[in-house]
Amino acid sequence: MSREAYQVPTVAPTPGRDAFQAGDGPAINYLCGDCNSKVPLKKGDPIRCKECGHRVLYKERTKRMVQFEAR
Amino acid sequence: MAAHPLRLKNPSPAEQEARKIVGVNAETVTNVSSTDFPHHYPGEDHAWDKNKFQESFQVQFHHNKPFDASFSLIGIDASVANAFRRILLAEIPTLAIEYVFVNNNTSVIQDEVLAARLGLVPLKGGKEGLLSFLKWFKKPEEDAPAEEQFSKAYDYNTIALSLKIECTRNENAAPGEKDPHKLYHNAYVYAKDIQFKPFGRQLKYFSDDDAIMPTNPDILIAKLRPGQCIDVDMHAIKGVGSDHAKYSPVATASYRLLPTITITKPILGKDAEKFARCFPRGVIGLETVTKEEAAQIGSGYEGHEGEKKAVVRDPMKDTVSREVLRHEEFNGKVKLGRVRDHFIFSVESLGQWDSDEMFLEAVKVLKVKCEGLKKNLADMTR
Amino acid sequence: MPSKKEVEQPTAPADDDASMTEAPAAEEVQEEEANPVLLAFEEQRIRILPGSTDTAASFEFKKEDHTLGNALRYIIMKNPDVEFCGYSIPHPSEEVMNIRIQTYEGTTAIEALDKGFDDLMDLCDIVADKFTAAREDFASRQMDED
Repeated sequence: MSREAYQVPTVAPTPGRDAFQAGDGPAINYLCGDCNSKVPLKKGDPIRCKECGHRVLYKERTKRMVQFEAR
Repeated sequence: MAAHPLRLKNPSPAEQEARKIVGVNAETVTNVSSTDFPHHYPGEDHAWDKNKFQESFQVQFHHNKPFDASFSLIGIDASVANAFRRILLAEIPTLAIEYVFVNNNTSVIQDEVLAARLGLVPLKGGKEGLLSFLKWFKKPEEDAPAEEQFSKAYDYNTIALSLKIECTRNENAAPGEKDPHKLYHNAYVYAKDIQFKPFGRQLKYFSDDDAIMPTNPDILIAKLRPGQCIDVDMHAIKGVGSDHAKYSPVATASYRLLPTITITKPILGKDAEKFARCFPRGVIGLETVTKEEAAQIGSGYEGHEGEKKAVVRDPMKDTVSREVLRHEEFNGKVKLGRVRDHFIFSVESLGQWDSDEMFLEAVKVLKVKCEGLKKNLADMTR
Repeated sequence: MPSKKEVEQPTAPADDDASMTEAPAAEEVQEEEANPVLLAFEEQRIRILPGSTDTAASFEFKKEDHTLGNALRYIIMKNPDVEFCGYSIPHPSEEVMNIRIQTYEGTTAIEALDKGFDDLMDLCDIVADKFTAAREDFASRQMDED
């Protein structure tokens, strides 16, 4: 899906999103399979590591807190 | 009314001794069950008498270090001694980590495995705080919404701890260095890295030396490599060993019965030395046969004056390996056994209770059980 | 010693786990008794099994095991009015213990059970007293040696 033209966002960006670039959604960090470097990708970006060009990327562990019983 | 015999007779001392010994033979154990019940021996009175028990029961301490106590209970029955042992293991409340909130864990140890390991780390802290201030935490219902789950976690029933550690490369390591201790910072996560986060009144009860900390700071919890980190918050609450073994306050609590070694025929000379070697050092001693003993006819010492004979010095050191019974030269000369009502307890505490305090607590727990059930019985029969 | 008293006070608002509050001054906190030992005694844990008579009865104890069963059996057997006493655990998966008591004429099974509880409590008292005395004695002997 290549969208070169700027698309008007259907939802107004919320104030909390200043950290992320304008565009579709926040850039999610992935980890390269080879060199283990962080690879920020937005929606529609080609799936390739910026540094070594490897095409298998892994998602980072969730930032949500998980609870366990120590049993 | 139970039939009372016209006269009560007491067994002879020899008979009483024989009843007290459990026979340990090469391949069997004899005379195991206790028989001191009324009506078992006609004419004897074995009814429960508080005063008789008060007189005959004894406690002897062997050593009493804070976390390791060894003492003997003499004159009590196996069922009660076992009840104390079971209570020491399973029914004394102790603090241990129960809830682990993982904010981040990029190590190779899975979350649930890490949580299970953290639960098993034994904690210690200020006695007054642990025993009287800290109360029980009521576990929330399984289906309660997340916000309500810990709404009742107050300073008097929950201890908060945290473990935040990240592994980084050590810039100053020598090139070609292999040892992870030198190559990386924080490659090994030990129990001492767990930090206590007191709040509320806990600051008063658990401060400085009394702070909640692991009993053994060098327990290895996880290994990390650069870029990996563990960021975990924990809640510790009170529980009992019957729920989960992490709540057991003792490394172990065990008892053994006092061994007895009876030499029925004299063992002399080289045999005596071999006999002494069949037991741990200190159990058997060697004495010389005196003139008087040699003079006694029928004693077996005739003509052996001056020789070494074997005597039992300290049977408590014996481990009852029954090695003697393997050698033919001692056939019929020695009888092994254990005293049925002499229990040598060994209580090894993990740090939250003192061993002797813990035994008293165990006795109290048994008493509280009886009190509660007595009330229950009264309610039932009303 | 862990407290056995049950404190009843008016409720206080609770916060989420992330920010655990210091419990407000003691008088305002309702400390819900969560000690399982005490909670267990609120419920009815003893039941007489059907088919029992005055002098021969079987009792069912919930949430008990060999710890109490064997000790109680021993003490009840020491009662000369008891003809028979035994305990069993019908199935290890259920926390249930049965005790059967048969007495001679002149006393009931329930009385024998009651006396058993009393005797066991006396035994605990004597053990505790002698233990404390022996501990003091040992401690003072250690001091003398040092």
